[in-house]
Amino acid sequence: MGEDTDVNENGAVDEGSDLDPRTAATLLEQTKRRAQRQFEFPSPLLTLIQAGAVLAAYGAIWLSVRGQNPYSGPSYPALAALYAFVAVAAIAATWEGRRASAGVIRRSSRQQWSRAIPLVAAFLAVYVLMGALRYDGFSHAIVYGILPAAGPLIVVGAAMAGYAAAREEWQVLGVAVAAIAVGAGSAFAGPVGVWGVAGAGICAVLVCRAIVQVWLRRA
Amino acid sequence: MTAGVLDPLIHVPARLRIVATLAALPEGDALSFTRLQKMIGLTPGNLITHLRKLEHAGYLSTEKNGSGVASHTSVALSNHGRAALDTYTAALRDLLAGL
Repeated sequence: MGEDTDVNENGAVDEGSDLDPRTAATLLEQTKRRAQRQFEFPSPLLTLIQAGAVLAAYGAIWLSVRGQNPYSGPSYPALAALYAFVAVAAIAATWEGRRASAGVIRRSSRQQWSRAIPLVAAFLAVYVLMGALRYDGFSHAIVYGILPAAGPLIVVGAAMAGYAAAREEWQVLGVAVAAIAVGAGSAFAGPVGVWGVAGAGICAVLVCRAIVQVWLRRA
Repeated sequence: MTAGVLDPLIHVPARLRIVATLAALPEGDALSFTRLQKMIGLTPGNLITHLRKLEHAGYLSTEKNGSGVASHTSVALSNHGRAALDTYTAALRDLLAGL
């Protein structure tokens, strides 16, 4: 066993015969909390970054379509801003994921992949549906407004909810169900308003999640 | 009730921290020796000594991949170790409730 480093077999090893139970309980609690915090993904900070990125991305689109009559869809700079904010959120998630999983050997790496497959499939399906609706002659308001704003929240939220329920990840399930509700509800705001309502709604959901994460850490 | 009811293998500061740290991972996942050492703050020699004691009791398993300087050792808490920590935690709770 062990690394090929300076193995000191006779190193001073403390024994716990005089370890007070109160001290042991405190040490156990502190160690558990510290370890959970170090392995935690996403952290409350990352959740807040994601909340900000979603608000900025949807907000950029909303600003570009505001006042359009008839609705023609977001401008290219607004779309570029959306992808830039999505990239910021993805980079932050990758960086933090690496920090949290450094040195962790997952026996369940196949499960991680199986989690991504339905999410990616659901996400891509929205764009295929957009193409089909455009081909069938649906208006810009539906194809480039309501569907791309609300659709991903509903279908990705549903895929995530199913996965989270199967694994009993209640916090993720709550976020997923809230995303479905925001997506479905925001569609009532019309092709312009949907971007603002969905962005603000998802931002609020993620901020709530960050608050719950901090609260659970302290509980 | 006294501290004698507490599992002596776990009731040692360093081993308590090792077991509690590994228990924070999902079941079946392992942690590299290097990261565990960083998190616990023990010297490699001390950590190995404690890990051996826990491994002999069946509380954890170690796996070595590669050889020479590029070798990596990973450590995982076994089901037996997880159950032992649960029992230890319950005993500690009872003990403190009785004080």
